[in-house]
Amino acid sequence: MAGTVIGRTIVIDGELAGDEALVVHGTIKGKIEVRQRVEVAADGVVEAVIAAPQVTVHGTVVGDIFASERADLRPESQVIGNIRAPRVLIADGAAFKGSVDMGG
Amino acid sequence: MAGTMNTTPCFIGPRMTVRGALLGEDDLVVEGRVEGSIAIAGHLVIAEGGVVESDIEVESVDIRGQVVGDVIASSSVTIHPGAQVHGNVRAPRVVIEDGAHFKGSVEMDVELPEGLARVRAR
Repeated sequence: MAGTVIGRTIVIDGELAGDEALVVHGTIKGKIEVRQRVEVAADGVVEAVIAAPQVTVHGTVVGDIFASERADLRPESQVIGNIRAPRVLIADGAAFKGSVDMGG
Repeated sequence: MAGTMNTTPCFIGPRMTVRGALLGEDDLVVEGRVEGSIAIAGHLVIAEGGVVESDIEVESVDIRGQVVGDVIASSSVTIHPGAQVHGNVRAPRVVIEDGAHFKGSVEMDVELPEGLARVRAR
């Protein structure tokens, strides 16, 4: 099962919480708190705090990212916010503004 | 990449909860939980096990799970066997199937025969 998918034209203003993988093609404003991986697709826009084990961003995130395992900013991604994760990857071509805290 | 741009499915999985307003133009399948409001210009399916505690405004909806809230559809509402709906339903076409549980009012456009309509209007 692919988990939850938020479609391209969908806008959620509020909070998303759960225990399964999430792929965002649409827009989420508020808060995301899941216990599986979160992927913000190239057409996804997240204006929210994201808390998840693994966060992969192809699209746009404005908000802080708390990843207990890893945060992965792919080429073409745009992120404004702070990232806290033990492993943080910022690919060549990613646009990022904020602070990184890998702990320790 | 994002795949086909105009047919991205929207799916709220069984272990996901959305609190807040959900709006858009995609079809939506809810197997999990939505608390707040749903307003989409598309088809909504509340699957078996899905729980929606919110007012719903859609083109059409198939309900197989649980709904607490008012349902307004521009074309049709179908309440399937096993579904539980608590709220008011307004749509041109409303179907309540045998085995569905429903509490609330139903409002369809009822065109009464002319004579009867005049009596009702008085």
